[in-house]
Parts: sequence; C-alpha cells; structure tokens
Amino acid sequence: MTRKTRKVEEEPDNKTASDVEHFGGNSGAEDGISDYGDMVEGDDEEEWGGVTGGQAEIEEEHRPGTKPKKPPTGEELRAIKDAADLFRSGSFKLQIDALLPNVRPKASRIPPLDRFLLSLHTFLMGIPSVSPQHPLEAARKLLKKGVAVPYSLPLPTEDTNWKVAFDSPSDITLAGSWANKVSVKLKDGLKFGVDLAVEMPNSLFQEKDYLNGRFFHKRSFYLATIAAAIQSPKSGFNVEVFYESLLEDVRLTKLVLVPKSDGSHTDFTKLNAQVNIIPVLSPSSPIPLHRLSPSHSNIRISTNEDAKPPTPLYNNALLRSFTPRSHLLTTYSLKEESPAFADALTLLRIWATQRGFSEGSRFCVRGFEGSGPLWVGLLALLIRGEEPRASDSKYTKRRPLGKGLSSYQLLKAALDCLAKSFGKSPLFVKAKDGHRFPPEEYEGPEAVLVDSGSFVNLFSGVPLGSVKLLQYEASKTLEILNEATITGDPFTQVFLKDSRDLSTRFDIVLRIDLSTVKPRSSSIQATLDSGSTSTALMSSLGSLVSRGLGDRVEAAAILHPSPAARPVSQAHPFVPDVIVIGLVLDPQNAFRLVDHGPAADDEDEVALNTFRELWGDKSELPHFKNERMIESVVWEVKTADERAHIPAMIVQHILKRHFGLEEDALQTWQSSFDSVLRLPESISSKYLASGVSTGFKGALSAFDNLVKAIKALDDELPLTLSTVSPTSELLRYTSVFSPVPLPASLATSMPPNTRYLAPIDIILEFEKSSKWPDDLRAIQKIKLAFFERLASVLMESVSGLKANVVVGNGAQESEIIDKACLEIVTSEGWAFSARIWHDREATLLDRIIDDKKKAMSHIATTKEAKKGKDYSEGLLAKELYIRRFIHAPRHHRAIAALCHRYTAFSGTVRLVKRWLASHWLLHGHITVEAVEIICAHFFVGDGRKFAIDADTEQAASHLVPASKERGFATVVQFLAEWKWEDGLFVHLYGPELPESSKPTAKGSTEGVWSISTEVDSNGRMWTSHGPDMVVAFRVRALAKATWDYLQGLEGGQLNVQSMFIHPTDDYDFIIKLDPTALTRYHHNVAADHSFLSKQGTYANQQQREVNADVLPGFDPARLLFSDLQRIYADTFKIFFDTYGGDRFGGVWDPTLKQPRPFRVLGGFSSIPVTKESDKAKEKGLVTLNEKGILGEIERLGTGLVKCITVQSKS
Amino acid sequence: MSPVSSINGFSLIPVLYTPSTTHYIYARPHSSSKTESSNALPSGRTLFLVNTPPDATERELILLFKHCGTVERVVFDFEAKEHHDEADSEDDEDEELEEPVQVDEQPRKRRKTSKSDVPTVTPLPSTSLRTLRRTGRSAHIVFLDTSSLDRAMSRVSKPRPWPESEEPRGAAHYRALYASLRPPLDVVRDHADTSIELYEYQLAKEKQKSKYRKGEAIIDEDGFTLVTRGGAYGKTLGGGVGVASKRFQRAGESGRYRTKKKEKKEKEGFYAFQKAEKQRSELMNLKKKWEEDKAKVEKLKASRRFKPY
Repeated sequence: MTRKTRKVEEEPDNKTASDVEHFGGNSGAEDGISDYGDMVEGDDEEEWGGVTGGQAEIEEEHRPGTKPKKPPTGEELRAIKDAADLFRSGSFKLQIDALLPNVRPKASRIPPLDRFLLSLHTFLMGIPSVSPQHPLEAARKLLKKGVAVPYSLPLPTEDTNWKVAFDSPSDITLAGSWANKVSVKLKDGLKFGVDLAVEMPNSLFQEKDYLNGRFFHKRSFYLATIAAAIQSPKSGFNVEVFYESLLEDVRLTKLVLVPKSDGSHTDFTKLNAQVNIIPVLSPSSPIPLHRLSPSHSNIRISTNEDAKPPTPLYNNALLRSFTPRSHLLTTYSLKEESPAFADALTLLRIWATQRGFSEGSRFCVRGFEGSGPLWVGLLALLIRGEEPRASDSKYTKRRPLGKGLSSYQLLKAALDCLAKSFGKSPLFVKAKDGHRFPPEEYEGPEAVLVDSGSFVNLFSGVPLGSVKLLQYEASKTLEILNEATITGDPFTQVFLKDSRDLSTRFDIVLRIDLSTVKPRSSSIQATLDSGSTSTALMSSLGSLVSRGLGDRVEAAAILHPSPAARPVSQAHPFVPDVIVIGLVLDPQNAFRLVDHGPAADDEDEVALNTFRELWGDKSELPHFKNERMIESVVWEVKTADERAHIPAMIVQHILKRHFGLEEDALQTWQSSFDSVLRLPESISSKYLASGVSTGFKGALSAFDNLVKAIKALDDELPLTLSTVSPTSELLRYTSVFSPVPLPASLATSMPPNTRYLAPIDIILEFEKSSKWPDDLRAIQKIKLAFFERLASVLMESVSGLKANVVVGNGAQESEIIDKACLEIVTSEGWAFSARIWHDREATLLDRIIDDKKKAMSHIATTKEAKKGKDYSEGLLAKELYIRRFIHAPRHHRAIAALCHRYTAFSGTVRLVKRWLASHWLLHGHITVEAVEIICAHFFVGDGRKFAIDADTEQAASHLVPASKERGFATVVQFLAEWKWEDGLFVHLYGPELPESSKPTAKGSTEGVWSISTEVDSNGRMWTSHGPDMVVAFRVRALAKATWDYLQGLEGGQLNVQSMFIHPTDDYDFIIKLDPTALTRYHHNVAADHSFLSKQGTYANQQQREVNADVLPGFDPARLLFSDLQRIYADTFKIFFDTYGGDRFGGVWDPTLKQPRPFRVLGGFSSIPVTKESDKAKEKGLVTLNEKGILGEIERLGTGLVKCITVQSKS
Repeated sequence: MSPVSSINGFSLIPVLYTPSTTHYIYARPHSSSKTESSNALPSGRTLFLVNTPPDATERELILLFKHCGTVERVVFDFEAKEHHDEADSEDDEDEELEEPVQVDEQPRKRRKTSKSDVPTVTPLPSTSLRTLRRTGRSAHIVFLDTSSLDRAMSRVSKPRPWPESEEPRGAAHYRALYASLRPPLDVVRDHADTSIELYEYQLAKEKQKSKYRKGEAIIDEDGFTLVTRGGAYGKTLGGGVGVASKRFQRAGESGRYRTKKKEKKEKEGFYAFQKAEKQRSELMNLKKKWEEDKAKVEKLKASRRFKPY
C-alpha cells in the first residue's frame, strides 16, 4: 500500500471513532439485524413476513449431532435466512453477490496505479512555484506551452489589480470513491476516476477572493500550471492531459490524466482508470465561509449597489472546493458504521448508471456527471437521518435508519426516499455541527440535498426536470421490485438492463438542434451565476419547457451525451449542440386542450404578465369560466391523432417563442408513426368528401343500430335474441386502420383495388330453448334457417339493408363445425358478419370427443369404433367453438375496457399489428388476439392495479406507457428479448375470476408462444396455430433489427416508414401480385400511388370486368395465401402482409431439398433424382420439384400473380 | 441424360405445365388387398396416381388419360379417406355414403335415397369449382376396360401438356367461390327446411328401429334387466333401483371413492420425533433450495450475464 492511501485510512480513524459514538448515542443500542423492523415503508410485509415466523423456531430447535444427512450448519442457516429476509429472495442475494465484483476495479491491476500516484505525488510537490503576476499575462505565458487557462466569467481584464501565482500544494490526498474503494465502473467503457485532491496553499489567497470569480481564476491558473508541468516532457509521465468540466461549468474544471500504454511499471492502462486532479482549499483558508451562503451575492458587476441578486450556483461551485476531504471522511465513517453501505452505494450507482444518471457517451440525463457525492449524500441522509430545522416546528424529521440494513434494503430505502420526498422541500443530511447556513436560504426552484458537511447542495446544477425523472425512475423501479410476477425477472430489469434508450423511456422524444438557438431574453446575472452561456441556456430552456407543460408531464428531462474531455489547449468546454427533451406524460392531463391562466381582471398583474410572457400571442382572453374572463391558451386539434401531439406542440411553441428555434431544428416522430396507421391521402379524402361517419365511433353506433334493429324483430323470430356480443377488432379500437363504411354510392367512385369492406364479427345468442335439435349436423342446418329468417325480416324492416346467408368459408368441409354466418350490409355501408352461439354444441362435441361415451350403446345404435373422422372433426369443431364463442367475446370485452382505461393502449396495439403485418406475419402466423394480449401485458402489469380504484391507479402506475410510440417500442423490445419457452402471463381479466376451470380446447399445437391469462391457463388459445418455431425466431430477429433501428432515434436518423418495410432477401422465392387485382391495396404500407388512382392504365378494362358491387370481406390475395398455406403446408412456409400486401414470400422446407426415398404419401411434389450412379436409381430417390411447384402456384393464382422470382441465396 | 422412367414400381408420367416446367405424376396399377372395397375400386382397370397437381379436377385427369381410353371415374385421396370414412352403416337409407368423388364444395347433406317416403334435401346450388387439395396427394383412375390401364402403363410417354378444364382459376375462382357461398335466400331456406325434415325423419326412424321401447324393460339373453338413467327413454323401470350416475357411465368410476380421503391414524406432530423430523426436512428443503439458487446463479455467471455493461 502506498503512502497516500495509508494516510487516508489512518486519518479518518480517529474521526470515525467519535462519529460512531455520536450516532450510537443518537439511535440507542441497536444491534445489527434486529432492527429491520423500522425498515422503509416501501418494503411490503408480504415479501419476507411469511418466512420469519417459522424459522426463528427452527433455529432454536436446531441441535447439532442428531442428523445423519447433514442439515445446514448454523452459519449456513444464518446466511440462508439472511438472504431470504434481508434481500428480496435467496437468489436475488446471490445475484447481487455475483454482480458486485464485476463493477469494481480489479485488485490485481491496481499496483501500477499506486506506483504512479506515488511518483505523481513527489512530482506535484516539486513543481517550482510561480511568482505572482497579472492573470492575463500569466495566461499568455502558459499558452505558449500549449496550455490555456480556463478562466471563467466574469473574465479578468487588463486592469485587474490582483495577481495569480503558484506554490507547491500544502497537501495531496486521494479523495472520492477510489480512496474508499467504492468505485463503480462507468458505462460505455468510460474510465474509473481516481480523484486526487490537491490542496492549494493558503498563501495564494486573500479574503476577498470569493468575489467576482477571483477564486476561480486563481484556481484555474493553479490547475493550468500543473497541467503544463505534467505535460512537459521533462516530467517523465507518459500520460495525456485533458481538462474536464462538470456540467460544462468552467469553474468546476479538473485535470484528467489518461495513461498511455507503454508497459512500464507505472502503466495503469489495464485498470481502465484516469487520475483526476482537483484543486481544493484547506479548511483554514482565508476565504470566509459565511460569505458563501446561498443567498449571498458575490458577483458585483452591476453599478447599482442596491440590487444584489443572490448567486447560489456561484457560491455552491466555490464551496465545492472545500468538500472533497469532508466527503472522504463521511464516506469512510459511513462505511465503518454500516457494513452494507459500500454494497448499497455500488448498487445504487449501478442502478443510476443504467438509467443514464451519470456520465456516458449515449444520451444521458443532464446534471449527473460526477455525481458520486450525490449518491453518498443520499445514503448518508438515510443512515444518519436529517438535520432538524428549528424554524419549522411542524416539519417531521426523517429518522435515521438502522445500520444493520442489508444493501438491498438500503437501496430500496434510497429509491423510496427519491420517489417520495425529493423536490418537495430541501433536505439536509444530519451534520455534526448543525446547519452551516440558515436552511431558509435554500428555498428556490432547485432540488436541495445538503451534504453532511453542510457545505454544498449536492443537487446544484441538476435541472428540475432531471430530478423529476430521477424520482419517476425511482418509483418505476420500486414498482418493478414490488411487482410479484412470475415472468418478469426484476434483477435483470433493475440492474442488468441498459435502460437509457429513449424510445421506451419517454412517451414523447424531441430531438433539438441547438445550433441556431437565439434566446429571447437572457439575463447577464443568470449567465454569470451559472458560469457560462450554455449552462444558463440549458437551465432556462429546461425550466421554460417545464413551465409550459405544467402538470401534463411527470417529467420533462434534457438529455445529451456527456461532453468529452478537452485538450488543455482549449479553455472552454464543448457544448452539446444536439439535445433531446424526453417527456414522460401524465395521461390524465397531457392531452388537455386548454390551459387556463389567471383571470384577466385579476389584481395580480404579475401573474398575468408572466403568463403572457410565457405564451406570447398564443395567450387569448375570451374564455369564460364561471362568468369570468380568464387568460387561456387553446390548442386546436382536428383529429384524435393530433390531440396526442399537444405536448410536443407546446414544447415547439416555447422553443420558438423563447429560443428562436424554427420547426426544422426540432425533430419528432409522432406524425410519422401516425401516418403508418392512416389510409393514403387520395383515398381518405374520398371518404371525407362523401360525409359518411367513419372511425370507431361510427362503427360502434352502426353496431348499436343493428342490435336495436334486430331486437325490434323479436316477434318475428322463433326465439328471442338475448345477447349480441361484438368480437371484432373494429369494435374494440384495435384495428390497424380506423374502420370505414363503404356505401355503394361511394364504391363506384373508388378504384376497384380499394373497394375492401371489412366485415365486423358479432355473435348472436338466443334464449335457451328445447326446440333445438340434439344433433350437431341438424344444429348447423337450424342455424341456416335462423339466418335466412333473420335476413328476410331484417331486409323487410330496415330499408337499404342487405343481408346474405354465407353457407361456409369454402375450405371447411366438416358438417358439425360452425361455419355459416349472416352477412349484413347496412344502408350506410357497414358490413357485419353474425354467427349464432348455441351452447348445446359444446356438450354434443364433448360426447363425440369423449371416448367412453358409449355406455348407452346397448340401447341407442350399433355404430362401433368409428372414432376416426368424427373424432378429428369434433376436435376441430370444439376448438373453434371454444375460441369463437367462449373466448372471443370475453377477450373483446377485456380489450375494449383496456382501451377505455389507457389512452395509449389502442394506438400501441395498432402500431404493433401494423408492424407485424408489414413484416408479413400477422394473420397468417400470428393472431390479432395474441398481439392484443401481449400489448396488454405492458398496461395491466401484474394485475394488482385492478384492486385500486380508477383514479389513483393511473397516477400510481409508472410502468404504463402514455403514448403509442413508447408502447410500440416497449413491445418491440419485449419481442426481441422474450424467451417464449418461459411463456407469458397476462393479467387481462383481473382478479375476479369468472367461473374457474374453463374449458380449454385440446389438440395439437404447433405454436410455440404460450400466452396465458386467467381464463386460459395453458396459454395456447390464440397461439395454437402459430407462430411455430421458425416464425417465432423470425419475429425475434425482426424485433431485434427494429429495436436496433429504433436506437437511431438518438442520432436523429430514424425513419419511421422504413421500420415498416420488410426485407425480402432471405426468402427463397417471391410471388409478386398484380396490385390492380387486389381489393385492399390502399392498406399497403408503401402503396404505389399510381395504382390507387382510378385513371390507371387499364382503367377501362377494369371498369368492365369489375362490377361495382361491394363485396364485404372479399380479399382474393388473402384467400390465395391461405390456400397456398394449406396446400403446401409441408413444403414451404409462406408469408404475406394481409394489409394490402402485393407480394408473398416463401421459404422451402430445407429438409425437402435432400434427396430422399420415394414414398407414396410423401406430401410434397417431387421429382426423381437423375443421377448417373445406379445406386440412386435403385433407391428411388426423389427431391423437391421446385420449378413444378412454382408453376402450380402461378396457375393457382391466375389473374392475381404477376410473376414469381426465385432468389438464390448467397 | 435419360430421365428415370420408373421408381419403386411406379412409372413416371411427366406433365408439362409450361413448356419449361414439368410436373411428375407417379402411376401404378391399383391392387386392392381388401376384397370388400374391390367394388369401389375394381382392380385390373384402376390406375393409382401419386402426386396429382393440387388443383386437378376430375375432368383434367380424364383429359390427361384420354389417349389411353375412356375413364369411368376418378377418385381422389382414396387412402386418406379410407381410414376416415365411416364403415357402411347398417341403415339402408344411409347406404349411399357420399360418393368419394367430390365435384364441388356443396354441403353434402345431399342424401340420395332409395325409398320414396324419405324426405329429400334440396341441395344448395352448386357451381363447378375446383377443390384445392394438399400437394402430393393421390388419386385413382377407374378405366372402363383393362386394356386402357395397360396402355396407360405401357406408354412411357413423352411429356404431355397439362390439360385445362373450364373451371375458373385464380382470381376468377375466388370470385366464383365468393358468390357460391352466398346463395339466394329462398334456396337456403329450402335447403335448411328439407334438411331438418330429413333429420326428423331419421330421428323417428331410429326410434322405431331401436330395440328399446318406452315403458319396456331391456332384458338380455341371460335374463338380466338393464336399468339406465333418465332421458327420454329411461323411466327407471321397476323403480327403486339405484342407478349409476352419468359420470359413472362415462368414466367407469364413482365419485364416492375419490372423495373419501384416507384418514390418518396418527395426528401430525403428535410425537416429538415427528416434529423434529418435520423441522429437519424443512431445513433440508431450505438448504436444497439455497443450493439450487446458487447453482442457477453460478450458471448465469458462467454465461457472463452479470456484466451489466
């Protein structure tokens, strides 16, 4: 161990002793483990309550010597018990133990650093002193050596009358986390920081140096001199020297030494560390501390002597020069006091780093660079409690937590403290000597946490938006930890996952180019206080945006990559030119149309002016509320889509008004996401012009009208209609496109390839009756009769309505399966497809399926052992019955309810569906219901929210996305990482379980996804027919690619549209369809508009061929697709975008390409292998007849298929 | 290079889809092992085809083999059907057993009946549409005479173009299918009504035929009376007899035995050793679980999962 580190450790020893005593007296005799009774509120009893009772007893009974098979020893038992009690669970503890060594520096690599530090110490002590000289002159001299002096504002001028000088440091100490061995690795390969506090001798300073940045100038010169000395080749150090400024504040510049690899005995490159030289002041320096309280004004530039605006940031920055030693000692004593402190701090820092509350080269939250003392301060607050504030008697002070808490408990307590008590009022860590400055002086917009030395506010310079985000993230993590799902692994989510990506974190992401920024008003005072123009700009930008958004957001944070270290020849720090503003919305307020300000006739002129100043010409008067004129801002929106843009519009307005940023400096992605869910302009304008009522509202009211019409016919039907249940995505807000009707009048004006009318599925249930026959075939016939009757009477009673009985779907040959439906087209052009649910079918089908039904065989018939066909048909019919009549209506109700509860849910589902469809997977391989349930997972969480009433629930839930873009990103991320073998449980239906033991269909499942809900325990209801293994892997790969692409958000090069363009390279063959022969080409994600105009090349020809009849649900491409899928199920996998796709993609089954012996029921079209060798001939090997099959496909798709291209894979 | 002309006893019939695309049908004379089905597929003049095109119609196959002789009929997917189809029912009127030839999609409630008093079902209108079968399936061609079969087998013909019948294809097929699935309402009504009539007729007939009459006991040859539960038939004859539950009938087990739990003779935790043993096993479980967790984490550690960044 080197001299320095030893020194550090020796010194605090004496100090700690007294500290410990102090605290011991304070909190009474507390022995380690027993005091988890006063754990934080956040820790639920249930988590570890159950285990304790029994175990205490066990331990007492535990006698050695009575067991032959070695039960755990007392020590082991204690460890096990501790893990279960003090941590979330045993495995959680083990995982933490496994995690911690990975983020700490490797001990074996430290010795070179120690040697380096030793020689550095000698070197620094030996730097020759520089005699006092004029600051500018001194700077010029240094500049010749290639070192700039980073003077801060207000800059020294030629007529300054004080001098800067250098003298060898009075003390050099290792400080910060390295000295206490609590360093935590940083993200993106950034280096461990080894802080070296170099104490500037008192002789350099005068009492008045606290004024007008004089101290900082002297400090800068001191630092620059050291830099020059180290950099000069004479020093013998093989290091690169940089400046680095915290928060782009020149006043907080430090010197960074990065080693160059040369293999010498002081080369510590392998350690991945850097040495930071931080000049500090000795406690006995002549600068008077009492001048530095937050309310003091220490920059006197204005001529007006009366106006002395306080300079809290300036003062705080100066005070930071006193803190390193004090923090070092605090950390050390905390470490000694509380055994789990070091681990807790590490966990807390990992947590923060993963969420961007630290340095990083990706977008990180502003204000958290070099935030090490902050986390220590936070834990100190918890462990030592809060300094009481005498002035505020009713303020209840935070009690110190026990010192025996485990690291996990401390972490949770810290998160809880962050989530609940931050930002409300200033917090003061219990200080030995009480408050240094009056606590009242800290009242201000910033969050306040004053450190244990009572020097500085650790949150100084951290924008309020960032603090809000910190709070939000803390609540989110607490929710994850408290959530008791089986599927989620909280450990991964909390510690291992990089949660810095913007798209799943923020509801709205705005990327702003600051290169053209022109602040409307900038106060010199604010600029001087914050140290530089850019810092001042950021803070005013943050606060104005926050004010504009108000309670619409939970947090509005500024993010940018941490500025890189700069060469010492550059005095001023890099300023980020691109920032991201991330908004976390509060869904209840976010989309409000009007912001009310103060009343116009209010006496409070100031409030009125502030309001007008904030909004500019957006602020209007004539709005009446309680017959008063109220200054208001109204956001005008035309569609529901636009309503979701209001928060972005507000930010845009504010940036334009206050910072002169035009629209092109601002990038958002909302409207491009909207556009993939919209019909092309040329088509939607026709709908708009025709004046039909469209959208989900239109569909719902059409449905209601239809139900009324049918109910009115009760007398004319043999049975009374009891229920009509909708089961269509068009009626539950989750269809990709908002539903539109297609009246015949409109159809004629539409191009024929856009005349698709989606039928809306509904289920009719009639009263129970004994009139139904007791035979499945007859039931299907009776249904036909019912439909016919209903159709005739409906057409009679409702004018303009057309009804047709559809007797099957063409592919289904079974007679016992429910296949008929009634197709109704209303006069407004809505299409419905109604089916009848008869619950007796289930029983009858069960009888067929059930082997042992023939107990009555003596009596009834003599049919024996005819299992085969009936049985398999019965299984199919049963599966369909359960899905269609039992699960679909229930699913519909649950999803529709979710759409009402969460504004972003519907949009999320629609985007995900669109995405899956555009990658040729939806419908053909993945059912829409499965998608809806997966999406619902991110909204219902672990289902316990159902218990809480609706109001508090939304406010409480931090995991729920509030915009469809975030929802989409969340689902994509999930799909990219989901191990489907583990399944997924979604609490879709809430705890009030409708009669348990619901029938679930048996049968083979080729699907691999298992998505279970309360009513579907094996989770194959909607995924039994896919995705199979191949497709599931495909989904994962696509999700991964999309997810990676989404990260382009940071660079600003994200093009939403191209996320929905499917790469076709890996298909064996592509079948191109003729866009003019399709019926829903307008749904195509990248439709070629020339095919969408009626005046196409073949317009006349088309006109003749296609009659303008509206054919609900007629989609020949889809029919061809499902036929091909069925015919060639074992030959190839085929993929297709059902939303107007004009290509099929096919992949051969790779096993068929191998020659194999000929079999009669081979199940694929084969061609004999022609080989010269007789052996092949003898064996009769055959292989896949690819060409022949493609020829068949071309023939099957006559009139639809344009051409087939075979792609050779490289 | 000479193409293979036969494979595993099948001769190859190349068919040209387009001049450049060839499809292969494998042919062999049909030989039936079972005598019973011989009348369905007479051996000697039946050709067995494998790998017929999925969209082949009867007409197209007839045209393809026209040069060999007259085709009596075509049977698709006989094997597949065979073990699915019901064996002939004993009921005379059910005898028809829908013909294996499926000309179209129309629902096959179309029972041709021999007896005049049986109600006939008005069929739904049928348009001639292709049935798209799965690929690689088989078909049987029944020729009028045996010589045709020989001709078909003997001629290793040069590739012949695939004939086309008039049934629509592709887009036209789907359009026609769409229309055919939506028959006029009156036809649907007739079809439904007559189907129900037939059903009721059959029901009545079955009742008549059943050995069981209402109000009569069933006595088997040993003289035992069968007593069964309820329904339309089952007034428990003789009365006062305990009748097995439906569940018993189906599952062959009664609920009574299952619900009865074995009662333990000893109370748990009565003796000290029980208590000690229980606690010990609890501890063991605890340790076991701990070890399992440990092993799991070790495994994860090995997969370098604990590198957060």
